[in-house]
Amino acid sequence: MAVIRDMMPAFQLFQPTTTDEALGLLDEYRERAWVLAGGLDSFDWLKDRVKRPAAVVDLGGIEALRAIRPAAGGLEIGAMTTLREVGRHADVRDRYGLLADAADLVASPQIRNQGTLGGNLTQDTRCWYYRDGWNCYRAGGTICYADTPTAMNREHCIIGASRCVAVNPSDTAPALVALDAEMEIQGGGGTRVVAAEDYFVGPDVDIMRMTVLEPGDLLTAVRLPETWAGARFYFEKSRDRQVWDFALASVASAVKIVNGTVEDVRIAVNGVAPTPLRLRASEDAVRGRQLTEEVAARAGEAAVQGVRPLHHNGFKVALLRNLVTRAVRGDEA
Amino acid sequence: MELFQWGSNPWGQETLVRISWDLLYLAFWAGIAFILFHIAYAVVWLPRLARASASAGADAGGSATDVPARIVRHTSAARFFHWVMAAAMIALLITGFFPIVGIQFPWVTIHWISGVLLTISILYHIVHATFFLDFWSIWILPADLQEAWQRVRHQMGQETPAIRKHGKYPLDHKLYHLAVTVAGLAVIGTGLVMMLRIDGALWPRNPYFLSDATWGLMYVLHGLGSVLFVTLTLTHIYFAIRPEKLWITKSMIFGYVDRDRYLEHHDPQRWVVPRDSTEG
Amino acid sequence: MADYKLIGKPYSIADLVAKVTGRAKYAEDFRADGMLFAKLLSSPMPHGRVRSIDTSAAEAMPGVEAILTADDLPPVDAPGEAGLTNEPMYEGEPILAVAAVDETTAANAIEAIRVDMEPLPFAVDPLDSLRPGGSNARLDGNTMVNRELANVKWDDVDWAAIDRGEMQTNGEVAEEWEVGDVEAGLAEADLVIDETVFHQSMGHQPLESRTSMAYWQNGKCYLHTSTQSTQRTHGAAARGIGIAPEDLVLVAEYCGGGFGSKIFGSIQMKIPALLSQKAGKPVMMRITRQEEHFIGRARPGLQGRVKIGFRRDGRITAMDMFFVQDGGPYGMSGDYVVVPDQSTLMYQPLSHRFRGISVYTNTPPRSPQRAPGGLQAVSMFSPLMQKAAKELGIDPLEMIRINAPAGQAKLGRPDENGEQGNVSSAFVVEAADLAEQTFDWQAMRARSGQRNGTRVTGVGVALSSFNAGAWGMDGLLTIRPDGKVYIQQGIGNLGTGSVFDTGRAAMEALKTDWDQAEVIWGDTSKHLPWSIVQAGSNTIHTHTRTNYAAGEDARRKLQEIAAGDLGGSPDDYDVADGRVFRRGARSSGLSFAQAARRAIELGGRFDGHELPEDINAVTTGAATALAGLGLMGVARDNYPTGGRVISHAIGFAEVEVDVETGAVVLKDYRVSTDVGTVINPRGLAAQLHGGGIQGFSAALAQKWVYDRRWGLQVSKRFYTNRPPTILDVPHEQPMAWAAQDKPDPFNPMGAKGVGETAEGAGSGAVLCAIADALGDGYFNRTPLQLDLILTKIEQLPPAFSTLTAHV
Repeated sequence: MAVIRDMMPAFQLFQPTTTDEALGLLDEYRERAWVLAGGLDSFDWLKDRVKRPAAVVDLGGIEALRAIRPAAGGLEIGAMTTLREVGRHADVRDRYGLLADAADLVASPQIRNQGTLGGNLTQDTRCWYYRDGWNCYRAGGTICYADTPTAMNREHCIIGASRCVAVNPSDTAPALVALDAEMEIQGGGGTRVVAAEDYFVGPDVDIMRMTVLEPGDLLTAVRLPETWAGARFYFEKSRDRQVWDFALASVASAVKIVNGTVEDVRIAVNGVAPTPLRLRASEDAVRGRQLTEEVAARAGEAAVQGVRPLHHNGFKVALLRNLVTRAVRGDEA
Repeated sequence: MELFQWGSNPWGQETLVRISWDLLYLAFWAGIAFILFHIAYAVVWLPRLARASASAGADAGGSATDVPARIVRHTSAARFFHWVMAAAMIALLITGFFPIVGIQFPWVTIHWISGVLLTISILYHIVHATFFLDFWSIWILPADLQEAWQRVRHQMGQETPAIRKHGKYPLDHKLYHLAVTVAGLAVIGTGLVMMLRIDGALWPRNPYFLSDATWGLMYVLHGLGSVLFVTLTLTHIYFAIRPEKLWITKSMIFGYVDRDRYLEHHDPQRWVVPRDSTEG
Repeated sequence: MADYKLIGKPYSIADLVAKVTGRAKYAEDFRADGMLFAKLLSSPMPHGRVRSIDTSAAEAMPGVEAILTADDLPPVDAPGEAGLTNEPMYEGEPILAVAAVDETTAANAIEAIRVDMEPLPFAVDPLDSLRPGGSNARLDGNTMVNRELANVKWDDVDWAAIDRGEMQTNGEVAEEWEVGDVEAGLAEADLVIDETVFHQSMGHQPLESRTSMAYWQNGKCYLHTSTQSTQRTHGAAARGIGIAPEDLVLVAEYCGGGFGSKIFGSIQMKIPALLSQKAGKPVMMRITRQEEHFIGRARPGLQGRVKIGFRRDGRITAMDMFFVQDGGPYGMSGDYVVVPDQSTLMYQPLSHRFRGISVYTNTPPRSPQRAPGGLQAVSMFSPLMQKAAKELGIDPLEMIRINAPAGQAKLGRPDENGEQGNVSSAFVVEAADLAEQTFDWQAMRARSGQRNGTRVTGVGVALSSFNAGAWGMDGLLTIRPDGKVYIQQGIGNLGTGSVFDTGRAAMEALKTDWDQAEVIWGDTSKHLPWSIVQAGSNTIHTHTRTNYAAGEDARRKLQEIAAGDLGGSPDDYDVADGRVFRRGARSSGLSFAQAARRAIELGGRFDGHELPEDINAVTTGAATALAGLGLMGVARDNYPTGGRVISHAIGFAEVEVDVETGAVVLKDYRVSTDVGTVINPRGLAAQLHGGGIQGFSAALAQKWVYDRRWGLQVSKRFYTNRPPTILDVPHEQPMAWAAQDKPDPFNPMGAKGVGETAEGAGSGAVLCAIADALGDGYFNRTPLQLDLILTKIEQLPPAFSTLTAHV
């Protein structure tokens, strides 16, 4: 059967106004449902007819999912809060500038107006083979087209690949991992909370999805703990254009310094692995030390231990090392 | 129910991807059905058979005094092979199929390492069995088929010549071994080629080593062999824990069978035991 | 500078409000009763043969009304492109079209069609096709030699060297010429730069895709479409549909960008036209972004080797170049033969040799793209010029001056007598001088190498020259009894504003306010004269000539009518401000309205009933239809010519390169020009900066990526093929521009075009600035993305060679 792109097929559209209503629909349609947030990831899939859900559940009308409020000394951000709102919100800016910086670097101003925090975190990978509808592992096939002798994989994995070499494209994800955020997930089984780090699923565990969300689940909120509020933050995104580009690599770090010594630190990167990656070895190289050039360099080196670049992305190794070094050094981004 | 999963290659041409996972469930339930059937059979038929053999059991000769008290059925090397292979197989089945049924974990590395282990153990077994064991004892020979026919007729209560006792391996063992051999060679042969698709340390990954169609065939054979193993493993475990067969299971653990069992089930002319064959 | 009433003055173009308010109707905004929608079924493979098509399931679907296949189209000779095909030669090439009551039905019908295809050998990199045993993109050959399809393989070439990224120059070529003695020139040089170079292929990506809507009434086809030209597109579209031009009405008042891909853009117009004929209903064919990506044309890439000899004083003694062009599957693009035209002109080498071959590939069809060959020349050569300047210790701007063309400078391939052509004017040294003062080049240069943390500043300068005009078309206007001047424009409204700008030449001739003018354009039923293609940056020069000619003709007729009615000789009268009047006695005269009525009364040549004999038949037809409506100004452009019209731009870029990430930030861009007399400063600024931005795109980001195993492209979306966005443009201060306003001697107002010249200036300057920031940052390939930069800084092994296409 011939393939046609850029032409959305018919599906049932539901526009619930409450979370419960949405959960009911997701439960009813299970695997055949598609959750629509800002639509920036969804519409590509739908228009290209690569993913063909029977029902689309549009969360845009659920006001309750779109708020930023204080919670347990930290902040709780509804999953449907737009990236622009996250980037502009005074409390986010003041206390969790890392997330604000990351949100401000997503895509383009138009996309940030439309795109949501939950969508940014939950979006599918941007591997161009997979997105073009090639029948790869991630699409249910038995091959990774991005890791073959002729593969074009400049924008793919250097760490942690397992058959599939696609990377997680989210900009806000590494920031949330660095902030030790928690994800609130509602589903048939009630509400559960997972650490940001555990929200993402690699292809070694499940090659066909990016997060722990099961059919019927909904990411409803992101909670920022008080622990890392006001720490020294660094976010940098490396990309080809100044705007509207996914990260070739990004780094997010939060450092607590007491008397010139690093009391605690969290460093996360994205665009280099199938999931946002917390760099424990780099953190260990920094924790308990003073922030010198040498310590920063060591953290950078630790970040690239065990990397396995593909044919076209060797540059990402140097990029990752340098970004982590800069994050520790705390350069002006 | 689908037999195969079809997909398209990047040019939109239809290609065989793998077997349909419906076959996994089919294999599982086939195994369970067989077990249930066999339990029923055992309940109905075994007592009758026991009576029949008590009355008509032909003594093929061989006297108890010629036979040691313990007869080695499996050398330590053979047992080692069996259990390594079993462990590898269980690991392969778990890593291969649990993710499909929804229990997800990082499985690929364990799977291929288990596969390599299985391959090594099979290679070892082939060499060992060929040069150090009675090679033909496990293979089905024309006489086995004739005899099987007689047994069936006998069990159906028809007139038959006297039924001889088994050699070292009865026909059902031989059949099982044959099935395992076929399925095993299929999964190992295809599995080794499939190693080219994963990130091996020893060779560059090359999913284009074979054509789409050939790869599809590889995945299908691998899948068919694998689901066959589901059935085979289920039934194997079932027989291993059946009360009347526990003595065989024990022999795979301890290596020997008792003289009584030997004489009861085997024809010493067909499974000739040297006098010094006791072990330990 | 002459004292003009309109020329050189800023004004608002007539369609501005329509555009910003959304009232402007583009092709896809039209509707017609019972209109169907068409969808295309495109090839999933780079080269294949359709064995069979099963449309039964689609035809059984309610709402599906007609299916058009290649068999329904007028035949096209190889290597031409039909529009639909049974032997697709690139991924995304349309095979058939379905018309249905709505787009969803049409799309669902496409999905229900089964096309059985046999894959055929393919090539996406021209070098692969030249390799012994390499497969060809076409079954009938891989190149054209002497206008015949041919099969060229390079048997005696060191392919190992090519694989290392060193182009070899002993392979067979299709084009070859030399002027002067290149070997001697290189021998006498104090410095020889010898490099392998690469320029990427890149799509045109106009924001408006090539959508068309067609319907038939009483045997005539009405076509609403998106095209750069109008009168010239009309003929091409009629030929494509297979009808006489008089049976086609083409409407294209607005065009959301073409960049050369819609000079005619007629290949696909026939599809809705013929589908409509088949279905007996109007058919709208909206082209999606992905379809546009494939069928929307592209610039040919180049792989080559360049040797340039320099004297110690910077003067170029010899240029020797060898190019392989990535030609796409159809036709024959001329970019590779334009490259040496540009280099002979921009650098005025004492000797020059060119060898080249265009090779067919199974990648989207090529067409001219803004400065075809010119952009590639500047992108490839200007960093080499800067490299030489550094080695010789010469200011790179001075290097431009040293080799700059001046006056009626020579250029291009010599004719059979060994004589090169020449340009009408070149004021490059003056443009450099202007920049030196206006932009404070020395202060910019002083910032070179400045460090700001991990960021290093680089500055670059590049000269770009390109075609900017032609001649010999017709002007046509009428002054009607309502007092207005109706200027008929056969050129298109590409979006540059030149359809209005050139109309001002007519009003300038009449010295009358612009608000008294009405420009008629974009609809061939409105009697448009014979015009140039809206391409090649031709319009400003060419149609200021035609419209000035028509204006002068009208002025002469006004003077004659006034003299006839009011006495005296025509020369006693002047024309200005909507009146013809006696010199020195302004009150004695006629308004345009009065004169128009008199012209109608007088008839004959005054109102178009008698026409000049030297005008084109198209103009004769148009003028005949307008005859009697008022006073007609109609004339062929017979003004003197002085050689090829070329404009020049010198771009100056300042970048910051982060040496830890390879990131490039463009801080500033300025451009100084020789574009003749400035006609519309706003339009000029838009072209200079818009062209510059397109140049940044070529230099930094835009590209195609192909998987060679499948011959398929993986960079189909804007976010993967990466054209620049407005935020990639310097925004700390406005980009500056400067024009000398020095008239070209061969245009009544001295005007030259600019659109294409502008692009190379942007690309070349940015590439030179990056090279400068890195000290020795010469990559010899575009786009120059951060992976290449970081690979060089970190001294990593390169992932691909300089010659690798489509990565």
